[in-house]
Amino acid sequence: MQPLAEIVFGGLFQGSLYAMMGVGLALVWTTIGVFNFAHGALMMLGAYLAWTLTAAGLPLALALPAAILLMGGAGWLLQAGVVRPLIGRPNLVLAVVITTLAAGSLVENGVLQAFGPRSKQLPPLVEGSMTIGPIGVSLHQLAIILATPVVLLALWLFLTRTRLGLALRAVAQNEDSAQLVGLNVAALYGLAFALSASLAGLAGIFIGGYRFMSPAMGGDPLLKALIVVVFGGISSISGPIFAAYLIGFLEAFSNYAFGLYWTPAILFAVLISTLMVRPEGLFAPRMGKLA
Amino acid sequence: MSALATRAAQVGSPPRTPGRMPATVEAIAFAAGFAFLACLPLLVGGSYGRHVLIMAFLYAVIASNWDLSLGYGGIFNFAHLALFGIGVYAYALLTKLVGIEPWTALVLSGFIATAAAVLVTVPILRLKGIFIILVTFGFAQLVMQVILSQSELTGGTQGIVRIPGLTLGDHSMIRDNKFAYFYLALGLLALSTAALRIIVRSRLGAAIVALRDNEDYAVARGLSVARLRLFTMASSAFFTGAAGAFYAAYQRNASIDVFGMSLSTVILSMVLLGGTGTIYGAILASFLLTLFSEAMADFGAWRPMIVAVLIVGVMLAYPAGLAGLVKAAAGHAGRLVRST
Repeated sequence: MQPLAEIVFGGLFQGSLYAMMGVGLALVWTTIGVFNFAHGALMMLGAYLAWTLTAAGLPLALALPAAILLMGGAGWLLQAGVVRPLIGRPNLVLAVVITTLAAGSLVENGVLQAFGPRSKQLPPLVEGSMTIGPIGVSLHQLAIILATPVVLLALWLFLTRTRLGLALRAVAQNEDSAQLVGLNVAALYGLAFALSASLAGLAGIFIGGYRFMSPAMGGDPLLKALIVVVFGGISSISGPIFAAYLIGFLEAFSNYAFGLYWTPAILFAVLISTLMVRPEGLFAPRMGKLA
Repeated sequence: MSALATRAAQVGSPPRTPGRMPATVEAIAFAAGFAFLACLPLLVGGSYGRHVLIMAFLYAVIASNWDLSLGYGGIFNFAHLALFGIGVYAYALLTKLVGIEPWTALVLSGFIATAAAVLVTVPILRLKGIFIILVTFGFAQLVMQVILSQSELTGGTQGIVRIPGLTLGDHSMIRDNKFAYFYLALGLLALSTAALRIIVRSRLGAAIVALRDNEDYAVARGLSVARLRLFTMASSAFFTGAAGAFYAAYQRNASIDVFGMSLSTVILSMVLLGGTGTIYGAILASFLLTLFSEAMADFGAWRPMIVAVLIVGVMLAYPAGLAGLVKAAAGHAGRLVRST
């Protein structure tokens, strides 16, 4: 009973973090058709911004929304600086990979310069811990598990129920037509990046509350987010969310059954075999051709 | 060129692709270029200077081979540095654990990297674009994780130390200020570059480019996507793996860092800064970026940030890279010569 409970709880917790990261990546991919390799660095930046604000004396309840707003600005800047000027180039995907990698390295080294390599930690969202059935859990982790679906639901409502969200999806579906009906495509690109960076920042604040922060902390979550996004299919927002929880459970189970060392190898083996059978992702509609 | 010779070239010689250098001219320029590089120890004294040049040659081998799959083949292969890392670990394990003679291990490492390239190509045979990036990226991480998890063989995060170096008879190649390693690295670069240029100038090279530029038409003309993709990836792997083995023998240690994103980013920026689909561009950019990076050693922690800004700047300003810049300058000079 106890192992099962731990697998379920661990899966839900990891799945929440992966969903938070993956949905931001997917948002940028579906809207602009590029992969943001600075997403992990943005996550780290969000955690450090929140840390700076709390260190300055702000309570977390104020620091968190402030950091998320600032991250929106950072995402917009990233888009304007290294993505927007490349739109229309024949090798767009590859060029954005390299410029976002470079931008990520810039942010990472900048934070290293500004804050030093010493690990820091954010205050948890909720202090304390409790026991649920056979296992003890921290309230911080529980808060993340409960908050993530709310955030994702809000995002879904925004994308499907508001004019702005619909405009964003229109750009994702057909950029030319979106422009023809008078949508400001450039601004919507900026919005997609801003939203994505805010989500990454929130994930960073979540992670910074239970694990030590370091300038390189974005690397592993980015990798997991990539797996999640590929696994779920990059043509939709909901696919990666399902995949995030699936991967979370798979990881928790594999950690228990095969040990910590083999888990990444098993995840990648699963990923590669999925891509060979269903290259469009598990939860995506079948496509005739992959571009 | 005199007016008469220009006319003779126009009338007499077979039509040639604009901007394509005749094979003999290229061979002469190639020989001259490498003769110059071979004389560099006369200009650059000291063991440290030669170390910088050796690293520049190594990076040039890795970057130019990546240009074959990425630039010519249009295959977004992000496992290229993993092939290099496989070369590093193959040499280390073959010499230390199996006890194979270093020179044999060097060649074997190239073949092992080639086999690994075939292995990673199989899942991407039917994929395109971003999906190839993701699978190859995943493969690179998989290799790293396997090496990390098999720590009793590979040393895990500690890496492998005291790997046997290369010797010539009784002469350890690291002695005499690394002269022997310098010429071995140069030889590796010369062999690799010659092989790459011969491939891309051949009909096979034209087929690789045709597949990149118009896959449907190329397939309709009877080219096999699977076979050509396997060939492209495999042939870009041999010298990359051998360079990895050379690196292991030269540094005498192997560490997991070779699989890290930072090295991949630097080498990828060499390929892209040089301009894809040229081979020489990648080599030139490797030299420039290595020297530039060394020149900024004083900046310490600021160096990666300066390099990052430089990469973004060149990507935004010169989409065709340094090779495009050189080509544009050459075209300009050519017009000037013709007009006078």
